[in-house]
Amino acid sequence: MIEFTADGPFSEKADPLFPDRVRVIGLGQTGASVCDQLVLHGRPGQDIWVFDSDQQTIEASVVPNRHLLGQDTVHGLGCSGDIDLAREIVAREAVRLADPAHGCDFLILIVGLGSATGMALAEHLMQLGRRAGAKVIALGVQPFAFEGWARRERSIAAITTLRAEADSVLVLSHDRLSASPGAPKNVRHNFHLMHQLLAQAAQALAQVVCKRGLIQLSFADVRSLYGRYEGSEALENCWVAHVEGDIHDTTDELIERLFNSPLLGDESIWKLVDHAIVAVSGTRDLGLSDVQEMVGAFKRRLDTDVAIATSASLDDEQHDRVRMTVLLAMTAPVGAPAPEKPVKSGSTAPLPRRIGETAPLPTVDATQPAKKGKSTPVKNTTPKAAPVKPVQPKPAPVPEPEVEFIAQAEEEFLEESPDGEPGLALVPDEAPGEATRAARRVEAKQEEMQFDGPTRGRFEKTHETIYRGENLDQPTFRRRRLMVKL
Amino acid sequence: MFWGKSRNIVVALEVGSTKVAAAVGEIRPDGTLALLGIGEGPSGQVRKCEIVDFEVAQGCVREALAAAEQKTDVVIAEVYLAISGAHMRSSNIRLSTAVNHDGDEITHDDVQEIHDMAAAQPLPNDHAIVHHLLQYYVLDDGSKTDNPIGLASKKLTAHFHQVYGLATRLQTTIRCVKELSIDVRNFALSSYATAQAVLTRHQKQVGAVVINLGGGVSDYIAYQRGAVVHTGVLGVGGDHLTNDIVSGLKIPYAKAETLKKTEGSVILDPSDGDGAITLPGAYNFEERNIYRTSLNTIMQARQAEIFEIILDDLQAAQFWPDFAGTIYLTGGASQVKGLVELGSQIFPCPVELAHQSPFDGDQNYGRRPDLSTLLGLLHYARQAELETPASRGLARVGQSLKKALANMRVI
Repeated sequence: MIEFTADGPFSEKADPLFPDRVRVIGLGQTGASVCDQLVLHGRPGQDIWVFDSDQQTIEASVVPNRHLLGQDTVHGLGCSGDIDLAREIVAREAVRLADPAHGCDFLILIVGLGSATGMALAEHLMQLGRRAGAKVIALGVQPFAFEGWARRERSIAAITTLRAEADSVLVLSHDRLSASPGAPKNVRHNFHLMHQLLAQAAQALAQVVCKRGLIQLSFADVRSLYGRYEGSEALENCWVAHVEGDIHDTTDELIERLFNSPLLGDESIWKLVDHAIVAVSGTRDLGLSDVQEMVGAFKRRLDTDVAIATSASLDDEQHDRVRMTVLLAMTAPVGAPAPEKPVKSGSTAPLPRRIGETAPLPTVDATQPAKKGKSTPVKNTTPKAAPVKPVQPKPAPVPEPEVEFIAQAEEEFLEESPDGEPGLALVPDEAPGEATRAARRVEAKQEEMQFDGPTRGRFEKTHETIYRGENLDQPTFRRRRLMVKL
Repeated sequence: MFWGKSRNIVVALEVGSTKVAAAVGEIRPDGTLALLGIGEGPSGQVRKCEIVDFEVAQGCVREALAAAEQKTDVVIAEVYLAISGAHMRSSNIRLSTAVNHDGDEITHDDVQEIHDMAAAQPLPNDHAIVHHLLQYYVLDDGSKTDNPIGLASKKLTAHFHQVYGLATRLQTTIRCVKELSIDVRNFALSSYATAQAVLTRHQKQVGAVVINLGGGVSDYIAYQRGAVVHTGVLGVGGDHLTNDIVSGLKIPYAKAETLKKTEGSVILDPSDGDGAITLPGAYNFEERNIYRTSLNTIMQARQAEIFEIILDDLQAAQFWPDFAGTIYLTGGASQVKGLVELGSQIFPCPVELAHQSPFDGDQNYGRRPDLSTLLGLLHYARQAELETPASRGLARVGQSLKKALANMRVI
């Protein structure tokens, strides 16, 4: 009698979540830290490699397949941001670097964009990978704004390089996390969380491009979201959120936790995001109806219509656990005609922003203005019930009536703080010092948004002149932030 | 016979971002060049030396050529065209060929073969060759020469500097002229043409970099030991200075252009203090005061950036460590105040304003740096005409007939 055995995703011998054809390579210190998270919290049997020129980083890594480069040149001391030195090391280690780019269909490179070794390696591996026929996905992390202009310039140039070579480029910004009210206050935890999120993004990407699962997406879906940009037209184009729960948890609980994810804490991202990939994985008990319910609940929580692509896969080793990772994408640069994002009926439309304002203001029912002498609770109808950020001390006068009303409401809140501390009435669970720190963080983020803003004036219709990631058609004094008195 | 008395006229045409200009020159029987006149007009819809609106640009070319014809009483049938744009690329290449003759004597055929090889070099997709400029030949004993014909060697190696650009953009500029029934006899890279106007043979030998600061682009060329060793085009020029002033001081473009030329400086002088410049009012513009420091800060930042980028590129080139020459500045945007001082602060070598070589004929244009490319193109045309073997017999008749018909706009 012929015995039929189940195969494909339902087979007992199904490949692990990371089949051999997806290889994750961590480059530089950031890449190594992210890969550590993949080893510690990811699936067993993953094909992960780590490369760096810093001996401490390599020795501290838990990835078995780790390699120290340039020992003859820099003696394990790293490149200290010297990209030429890093390229020289890469050129000398070309033989050792030939292997990782071969024998895989997808190459996920994780790199800190301010890292010299990481970027030199990324440049080399992207070329090797593409020559070997692999699709290259680059996951880059922008340095913090406080790390200085030089490092930032390097990261912008790095984004340009990645976009020129890789098939898809996901750029996340460290600043996004620091500006989020839900992020940990401890710097070490902050980095740790960022690395965890990046690891989850890498895992979700691997899940999406692997051809097994209930609902299948392909690399083309990833590319359509993250492969559109050139140069440095969008300095950040990806946000990620991850939730893991018990199969018995209710869908609403999972979604609630997803929206509480630190990177989704800043509600302003919903103004930029227009596409999403939702990757769901669970045991074989996970049914299509469950996936449908989860994605439906996610969609219901959004105020705007974001196009959602869904991937669902089975993983028996998850033991009654279900994972949901959301990759959000901005497919049109800031200032460009973005895809229409119709506001859902019944939901509150986002309020107009004032110049200099960084955090979204709490929406207030216009028919019931705040009354004096009473600390009015704020009803937040935006997706995540995040703690409301402190307001700027100098509201700019704007003619629109709604904005004036909001400004008035803010003043009332400020006046009516129970202990006289500005902003405390809006942030009841934060200490005054924390509120001030949050305000400062938000200011830094606003400067970053301005970078892409200026128009090119006379050169709008021409081909952009890009040099080391900078658009030279934009005024130099503005890019260099020189003060001009009017 | 009528072709026997025909004058040897050459016309240079430059379609720039600020202006379109056509220069008419005559090559005299003794080989010297005389400038007959220049027709020029403002260019419309040309940005960074690339045509944005074809019809408008073509109208400007037509007007400039008509003005040149009117001034010189010459009917223009063909032109030499200056080519530039940020899409231009260059590289140094080395090619070799075996010499298979009795006594290993290098002949004209060997030289021709190596030039044919240079012309057939593979280029990046969609690119077309503009120049392959000979640097020098090397014989198998390692000796270098400019003319190897008659020398003995088993192998002949030639070093070239090749310049190429995006074919579509080159074609657009050429088509803009050809559709006016004007033949494009040849074209030259703007910076190469400029160098012919401002550099002497001695300066090329000693080493020189010419930076032509135009309205839309800044192009530069480096010479060492008499040969071109590096060229580059940066898609940033004087228009960017004006655009920055518009953006920073919130004034109309025309006002900003005037302010740049009359008051602006690219050197920050602390003695300027908070001095103000008054912009006179007009029917649609209210009188305004502008801080001089603001104007100069904007201009200095942009010009310094242009120089820094060019310096970065030069330093990355192979010739730079041995370079011991001078940097010459020319072009319309080189007329801003303080340019040489700023250049001297940034470049680690002497910086001077370029002076054009003297020529016969109309002397009204000799001191205008914005015409250095155009006049250099005339020199280039003269050299090309003198190097072209003279047509004989029927070919000459055919050529003259073609010229006559073209003059009548029949073909």
